[in-house]
Amino acid sequence: MTEPKKPNRRRSPVRAASAAPVEQKSPNGDGEGKVETALASTEEIGFSPSEPDIEKASPGPNSSLAEAEGQEEVPVEQLQQQLMQELNELTKRLKELSPAFIPTQIPGAQGLLAAAQNILGKANFDKLRSVAGDLLDLDTWKGAWYIANHMLQAQAGTVQRRLRGEYETDEWGMDPEVIDAVIPFFEFLYRKYWRVTTTGLEHVPSSGRALFVVNHSGQLPFDGAMLAAAVKLEHPSNRLIRTMFASWFPTLPFLAPLFVKCGQVLATEDNGVRLLENEELVSVFPEGYKGVGKLYKERYQLARFGRGGFIRMALKTQSPILPVAVVGAEETYISIAKSDALANLLGFPYFPITATFPWLGPLGFIPLPTKWFIDIGAPIPMNEYGPKGDQNLMLVSQLTDQVRGVVQKMINDRLAQRRSVFRG
Amino acid sequence: MTEQRVILVDGVAGYWGGRVAERLSAEPDLHVIGLDTQLPQQGSGIDFIQAEIRNSLLMELLKEEKVHTYVHLAFVENDRPSETAFESNVMGTMKVLSACAEAQVKRVVLKSSTLIYGAGPGNSAFLREDHPLNAKRNFGTLRDLIEIENFCTGFRSQSPEVQLTLLRFANIIGPTVDSPLTRFLRNDTAPLLLGFDPVIQVIHEEDVVNALVHAAIYDVPGIYNVAAQGAMPLFKLTGLAGKFPVPVLHPIAYLGESLLGSQFTPIDFDYFRYPCVGDLRRMREDLEFAPAYQAEEAVRDFVARRKHKAAASALTPQEAEEERLRLIIERRKSIRQQTARGVPARAQPRGRPAVEVGADLDGGAESADSDLYEEESQ
Repeated sequence: MTEPKKPNRRRSPVRAASAAPVEQKSPNGDGEGKVETALASTEEIGFSPSEPDIEKASPGPNSSLAEAEGQEEVPVEQLQQQLMQELNELTKRLKELSPAFIPTQIPGAQGLLAAAQNILGKANFDKLRSVAGDLLDLDTWKGAWYIANHMLQAQAGTVQRRLRGEYETDEWGMDPEVIDAVIPFFEFLYRKYWRVTTTGLEHVPSSGRALFVVNHSGQLPFDGAMLAAAVKLEHPSNRLIRTMFASWFPTLPFLAPLFVKCGQVLATEDNGVRLLENEELVSVFPEGYKGVGKLYKERYQLARFGRGGFIRMALKTQSPILPVAVVGAEETYISIAKSDALANLLGFPYFPITATFPWLGPLGFIPLPTKWFIDIGAPIPMNEYGPKGDQNLMLVSQLTDQVRGVVQKMINDRLAQRRSVFRG
Repeated sequence: MTEQRVILVDGVAGYWGGRVAERLSAEPDLHVIGLDTQLPQQGSGIDFIQAEIRNSLLMELLKEEKVHTYVHLAFVENDRPSETAFESNVMGTMKVLSACAEAQVKRVVLKSSTLIYGAGPGNSAFLREDHPLNAKRNFGTLRDLIEIENFCTGFRSQSPEVQLTLLRFANIIGPTVDSPLTRFLRNDTAPLLLGFDPVIQVIHEEDVVNALVHAAIYDVPGIYNVAAQGAMPLFKLTGLAGKFPVPVLHPIAYLGESLLGSQFTPIDFDYFRYPCVGDLRRMREDLEFAPAYQAEEAVRDFVARRKHKAAASALTPQEAEEERLRLIIERRKSIRQQTARGVPARAQPRGRPAVEVGADLDGGAESADSDLYEEESQ
């Protein structure tokens, strides 16, 4: 009883799949075939001594489950087979790449399983196995360990190289390697989480300067990131937008260098003019804190558009303005109130009290998965006012109001079309 | 022009004064007068006058010698604000400028720093020369430079006939110079801030000398930021320099700085938190100066020659002495060849061997500049 038995240690993804209720109805034959595949894969990885006939020799306590394999769910099985094949390929390629690579042993894993079996008793342990499936299978973890180890070693090279300072940034501090590293996360937010629909991408020039003027919302500045993701992922030029951020962000540890390395720039007129002169795409959020920190009841009502600095930037550099309306971001956090006392205490520009923040702690930072729309309007030309237009105060304030009106109208149009906050 | 133009360089016993005077004296058509309270460490063939810049007869001297250009490099580096340093730096500069105006000196060249803009969260990525001087005054050098610059602003309108050239240099780096940045990089335990990685600008020591010589020779009045191309993130700089980063939480770092001052960090932590990067457009277009070293090359040179020096220290004293003299000979030869070819100051060949000034300075690096006014302060 105390001595753990080993013959059934080797398991296969079949059982993992069989644990899922969908697959309960399937007969045996297909299941056997899949065990072959799974075994082949573990042998490819080559950790445990191979026991080639194990699946025939010992149906074991889980054979009933194997019998209940799904037949009708062919696509799922195919997917699994594909996955195993891909894993085989991957490990094969890794081996070719670095034949000398031997992954370190998972410390204490074997003993841990044995101990678990001791404590729970054999019957309970097997029951747990049937539920948890591959998670309790040592070979699953060996495979994962092998790949993780290999990736770590590859990453270690990158980390060491970066520690030696051997990487390139532009004069603003933008670091392409960091951008490549964060893109998957923002791509997930863009495509899966907020399912952003972007219209008007044809207005974005493939080369040359342009200034995006965007409404700000959502408590955390994800709207800038999503607009940048839209152009980076969906526009044929894959250009990087240099988003301008407020002067509070440089004071924040970790966030400040991340913003700069991702190509974002502090919102000053000098910076904007210089970027536009360098023929870059720049995006500004003229509402600033007033916009991003809006209460839920004030949603989609544009706040004051700064002091017209963005118009002066555009006039000075004669850059076209692309008005942008972001709809959906306002509902990612339901801001009920703002606490001036806490904002002063913590030095924040505003401190929102939302349905989840600060009550749920860090969980309160998780935004709601609303459906977003980003509408990019037709460019508003700025080259008809002459190079001295930025010194004409009347012109600057008129144009500020005009652009604000355009953005507000675009928001209203989209809101009128929208049926649901979460489904669009 | 048959008549030799007279250039007076003060602080020639110091690091910058010595190097600039040596370079200028190799130029044809120039007569270089060196001025200092102490004898320079090695005679470089310049016409040396032992005097104090605050001497009220300085004006007489300038008039008598028909000085055309005054390069003011006597400056006492001081970490903590000190009255004696203030006296010689700020009051000394005021005396020099008024004497120059009185003696109808045509041109004055001053050396300053871009750090006087101060590092702050609202700084644009590239600060133009007209940016307000917001640096904190807790480090003596910066406090004195701000005072000097404020005086210069008034002086420029009062005495427009004197062409004032102010060169604001970024963080100076190089194998022989003793600057806050090189002190920071040489100190294994000097901390950085956790979670902050601002862009930082550097300039190679050779290019500092080149720029000062350039400003002394050519007619380029005004204020200029001078730095190497290619500002880089601070952690990239420390990585290239082979310094192991010691990141500290910023409230703790600031507390340490307020308690220990420059013992804890040679550079104020604001400069490790926010960017303070000068706009170089005027340097390129108006000063027409191009540093020979890119930022990355400057850092690599700092590292490479430090290693070379470490190897050289394994030599016996006699060998080291011979090696030193050999380098001096080579260096002087290369300067002579350059001037013979008529190459202007900005077209400097790179990777020259270690310099004798540095070899001397390395031992007494800390004392070199601060010794300048030691006598008078006692």
